[in-house]
Amino acid sequence: MAGARYIAEPESEVDAVALDGLTLLFHTPSGMTHIVAAPAPEILDALRGGPADAAELIRRLRLRFDFEGNESEAAIHARLDELEAAGLVRRA
Amino acid sequence: MSGSDNQGPVGGEREAAEGGRFVPSRRAVLVIGAAAASTVVTVRPALAQTVGSVLNCEIPIPQPAAGGSYISPQGELVAPGTPGAAPPLGRPLRGEEVKNLLRSGTTPAGVDPTSAQAYANYIRRLQAGMSGFTCYASLQMPR
Repeated sequence: MAGARYIAEPESEVDAVALDGLTLLFHTPSGMTHIVAAPAPEILDALRGGPADAAELIRRLRLRFDFEGNESEAAIHARLDELEAAGLVRRA
Repeated sequence: MSGSDNQGPVGGEREAAEGGRFVPSRRAVLVIGAAAASTVVTVRPALAQTVGSVLNCEIPIPQPAAGGSYISPQGELVAPGTPGAAPPLGRPLRGEEVKNLLRSGTTPAGVDPTSAQAYANYIRRLQAGMSGFTCYASLQMPR
């Protein structure tokens, strides 16, 4: 069963500033600033390749990263829930 | 970042070997993390309200303590009736008017255009403790 699919807010609407291991994201439409840690920026970047569910997202991340520790879909869902609550991703 | 159970981000990279074959590129290690370890902190735009109040703050010209003084073209307080100086402004300028005056030279409504530059220079010379200084300082803050 395919889970919910997510897309990230377009890069043109999010100004990103790298800040010593963290990333500041200014979401222009909402005027909100988000301080995010890994893997949030990496997830947003991976989702800009098009809508993806958790399994597809893990596959995309695996192309670029090694995983360490918990890499379950449940963990990915927790990250996606955070990003969705922040308004940085939404359901496709 | 509320995670304390070693689920924080890992910024390190390592040499990777895949299938016994050396891979020259360095791949970052990504920790997806425990479900409880938050990776997003959101700062909500309380600033939006601040900006509104800044634009509505007021600067009296001159400050009440110097009531009656004229303003020289350089923005200094001078004796009433000094030739070439601007008379006291009948009303305080709002933050938004001051911003427009200082940035683009827009004369506030009802203000004599020939006096506007003197008022602008007076505002630029405001110092801490003077009436209107906090308003002026707030206008200088980047949004």
